[in-house]
Amino acid sequence: MSKLAELRNARWAPWMPAIIAVVAVALFPLFRPPLDATMSDVIQALAYVVMALGLNIVVGFAGLLDLGYVAFYAFGALAAGWFASDHFSKVNGGEGVHIGVSDFVQTAFPQGIHVSFLLIVIGAILVTALAGAVIGLPTLRLRGDYIAIVTLAFGEIISRFAANGDSVIIKGYALSNGRESISPIDQLNLPLVGEFDSATNLRFYFWTALALVLVVLFVNFRVRDSRLGRAWIALREDEVAAASMGVPLVRTKLTAYAIGATFGGIAGAFLGVYNNSVNANQFQFGISIFLLSMVILGGLGSIWGVVIGATLLSFVNTFLIPDVLDKGSFNDLLSNVGLDFTFGEVKFGVFGFILVLMMVLRPQGLLPERRRTAELTQGVGGDEAIVETRA
Amino acid sequence: MAVLCLFGVLALGLAACGEEDEGGGGSSGGKAQGTELTIYSSLPLQGTSKEQSEAVIDGEMLALQQAGNKIGKYTIKYVSLDDSTAQNPGTADEAQTADNARKAVQDPTTIFYLGEFNSGGTKVSLPILNKAGIPQISPSNTAVGLTTDEPGADPGEPDKYYPAGTRTYARIVPKDTIQGAALATTMQEDGCKTVHIFNDKTTYGAGLGRNVENSAKELGLEVTGNDGTDRNAPNYRSLAEGIKADCFVGSGVTGENYIQVFKDVAAANPDIKLYGPDGVAEAAFTDPKEGGIPADVGARTKVTVATLSPEEFEKQGIEEAESFFSAFEEEYGIAKPDPYAIYGYETMKLALDTLKAVGDKANDRKAVVDQLINNTKGRKSVLGTYDIDENGDTTLTDYGLYTIDGGELTFDKVIKAKG
Amino acid sequence: MWDFISKYGLIALLVAFPLTYAIIDVAGGEGLSRIGNNLVAGLSNGAIWALIALGYTLVYGIIELINFAHGEVFMIGSFTAFALYSVLGLTLVTGPLGLVLGLLVVLVLSMLVSGSLNVMIERVAYRPLRGAPKLAPLITAVGVSFILQNVGILWFGSSQKGIPDLIRAQQELFNIGGVEVSRADVLAVVVTIPLVYLLTAFVNRSRLGKAMRATAQDPEAARLMGINVDTTISVTFLLGGLLAGAAGLIYALYQTNVWYFQGFTAGLIAFTAAVMGGIGNLRGAVLGGLIIGIIQQISDNRIGNEWTPAVVFAYLVLIMVFRPQGLIGEETREAG
Repeated sequence: MSKLAELRNARWAPWMPAIIAVVAVALFPLFRPPLDATMSDVIQALAYVVMALGLNIVVGFAGLLDLGYVAFYAFGALAAGWFASDHFSKVNGGEGVHIGVSDFVQTAFPQGIHVSFLLIVIGAILVTALAGAVIGLPTLRLRGDYIAIVTLAFGEIISRFAANGDSVIIKGYALSNGRESISPIDQLNLPLVGEFDSATNLRFYFWTALALVLVVLFVNFRVRDSRLGRAWIALREDEVAAASMGVPLVRTKLTAYAIGATFGGIAGAFLGVYNNSVNANQFQFGISIFLLSMVILGGLGSIWGVVIGATLLSFVNTFLIPDVLDKGSFNDLLSNVGLDFTFGEVKFGVFGFILVLMMVLRPQGLLPERRRTAELTQGVGGDEAIVETRA
Repeated sequence: MAVLCLFGVLALGLAACGEEDEGGGGSSGGKAQGTELTIYSSLPLQGTSKEQSEAVIDGEMLALQQAGNKIGKYTIKYVSLDDSTAQNPGTADEAQTADNARKAVQDPTTIFYLGEFNSGGTKVSLPILNKAGIPQISPSNTAVGLTTDEPGADPGEPDKYYPAGTRTYARIVPKDTIQGAALATTMQEDGCKTVHIFNDKTTYGAGLGRNVENSAKELGLEVTGNDGTDRNAPNYRSLAEGIKADCFVGSGVTGENYIQVFKDVAAANPDIKLYGPDGVAEAAFTDPKEGGIPADVGARTKVTVATLSPEEFEKQGIEEAESFFSAFEEEYGIAKPDPYAIYGYETMKLALDTLKAVGDKANDRKAVVDQLINNTKGRKSVLGTYDIDENGDTTLTDYGLYTIDGGELTFDKVIKAKG
Repeated sequence: MWDFISKYGLIALLVAFPLTYAIIDVAGGEGLSRIGNNLVAGLSNGAIWALIALGYTLVYGIIELINFAHGEVFMIGSFTAFALYSVLGLTLVTGPLGLVLGLLVVLVLSMLVSGSLNVMIERVAYRPLRGAPKLAPLITAVGVSFILQNVGILWFGSSQKGIPDLIRAQQELFNIGGVEVSRADVLAVVVTIPLVYLLTAFVNRSRLGKAMRATAQDPEAARLMGINVDTTISVTFLLGGLLAGAAGLIYALYQTNVWYFQGFTAGLIAFTAAVMGGIGNLRGAVLGGLIIGIIQQISDNRIGNEWTPAVVFAYLVLIMVFRPQGLIGEETREAG
């Protein structure tokens, strides 16, 4: 056996492209200036990847169409607002609470709750897991699009509470600062490594985001291949059959919601810190739709597909349209064919056009899940196939 | 495996980064290099605030053009950035705003940053720019907490926006306490006894609403309510029916659906007097032909703006203002520019005059900041004569009261705010 | 038994909402005029939602697709109506006869524009995806909705645009015991009722209507019975679009305001209405629209405009939990 073949047969061989990609991405910031705009685009893309992977658990694995995922982003970001700013300025008699934060934060922000980023993430996970399960409860009796509607309603209710949180006052503490934003949020601080300042260097934010993606990916793969993951897929394929085979419906569904939600919370907390501000304007229905587009475009239920879908759409939004298309030569192209506008004015439309085009060309998603591909090309027999695939 | 790999990279990155932390333009108060200087403008160019932002840009470009794109030996480059996104149009998107600020920080030629349009956006960009010592001027921010801890500010404001410990931010529009007092004073003079306020819940609208409320109470007016509005609501008919007052203040911007708000309040309360802040002082609000409020509602509406009429400036002997109005008409064919065009012009003019004043040191951010905050005194401008105080606030307190006549804002009188 | 409680319990809860406020008003010596005004405003607003909701319910009923672009079709209808004002020379001083005739022309044209737009969307964005995974058309719907929003921006700009109040919408027409009924209220109801009647008659009695119902029940079987499924689906989209166009004109006359984003918000509300009434059910969609209209106005008046969407959606969740098939919907495959 040659050396090459040996390599090809090694247990980790299928992972080789992924590992190379991760290393390449991880090295990328070193070749860019510390405040590079592309780096910041990637950071946002990575945060969206985390959320899209979370949504993929609910929609892709368990087949529960969730149109209110923005709720978990909101909870995560609010967790950052609550635990890493002077929002609760009266806490501890105005002395504040500081756990594991730098001296700078202690002196500059004497009031409010300021805790280490790891604690915020843990807080966000707890809050969103609970919220996910609570939102999941009323949907247990429902199927298909009806689940979509209830989750959509919850998404809207929660974003409404975030927007009006300045008038929801419990014991003197406001729920949020509404559309006036909680700001500034403490900079990212991690035990042992220290505090990173997004105003001078983005690299550590980049690596933190990448680390979050890797952790979430790891969890995703492990969960998908676990007993629970198989239960989700069974549920997705046929709820009645799954139940009769002994899959506990309530627990399986609720864990899907809860685990999916936590990823939204993690990304939300990260983005709250990274954006340095938590504003209810951010929590719009559009985010849920944007994330769902990423999941479906990438390939429902396919982990790598979702990673690609999320990265791609995020880049279309932050890079392709504003930085590539909205430039002289492309805009000249428009005026040459007699169109009286620039790409900058039609960002919405271009984004929409790309969505339609990609979906029409590849309805199954860019990188469909293997199981789905099999269903689509070979069918799974009888009426079920029609029901499943009928648009 | 992958995780392990990452840690390796992370450790490597740490070391690498420790060595080559060049800081870019990030070092506080650094000097811009070369003879080219860049002025960044950051405004929401998508969604509902687009028209106002474009008016600001028109004004800024005019001022720059008048200076021939040159100050002393330095060539000035103008870069207009968009702080809104397709997902979050009409207002400063937090992520995009931070990106814009970092873009300015990273550029060693940056000498001024003009923005944001929304006070909520400035809360994001100011701390970033402050650390880099970049002077910032906003054409439109009025939120109290950005510069002072006066009533209306949140706890911890304004210090939390200035991590470097020094002031780098100035604004040319008086803060909400002044406009709130101006509105309350006007209402008192008009014989109002009870006042009802709607606010659009943004940093601007909600903040101004609180200030109007405070000032009105101080002047002995009864405030019957201060309700938040939802901009996506189709109409405000039933909300407006709940008003029981003889005067109404719509503390919001046009883009937050305030045309509909004024129309519905006017229809539900046939005798109520209507007052609007500078957030609605634009043709898109005042002129029915441009899609603004109908003429009969306009006749009942008064608007406060921090700028006076050409005639009033003439009376005060401020020539700068007159030359602006004629230049603006020549360039854009508009005789009475919207207040936001005037604000934009003055923002850029203040920036350029500051650079001129420091002469050869115009590439030294520290000198420019010092000049802007400490030495802008007795400045004669298109907004009137003012100083910039140590907080970065304008000392301007004169508000112009405008009525709406034939779809145009028509100067009525100067308000000297009480309290 | 459970069915009885869930159906009538929810309706009781619905009625309790205005009733509570009516009792509070009377006890406080205010009389019934305030709640009356809320109800009138609610019904007329609800009539607009009902027209849009019908479009959702028709499309969902036949191809089980949440047509996210439907709100934008309505928005384009509104924009067309406003653009036609100036084309036809309709201004504030147009005489009553000219106004009525002119508005009828506008009504027909904006209905046709929205209707054909909806058919076109189906051709381009949904038909190629028939047979694709169920969620794929949902994303093209979102894409089309973005494209149309951008068309709206290019057409009339990005801020809300006030338009001429041709019919003096808020002028009081008559007054019953302190309850004011304005021209807009009458208009909304007067246009909506015949349109809904025509639609139900079409769906229930005509050949094509029968084909629609057959396709909704089982497209494969319908095809085997010789029904041209493609044409039937096109007709469904046409009908939905026509109603959206009519709603567009009423909205323009009623609110005297157009905005590129109006369709997104209206779409969300109308979709909620369709679900509330029982998706796929025409009467349900109308009922849902009216209920939401009333809830919105009462909440605006009593709770606060900023909380209104939360109130509406909270009620939706209640209905979904206790009666997923909607208030008067029938059991369906998905809401079993």
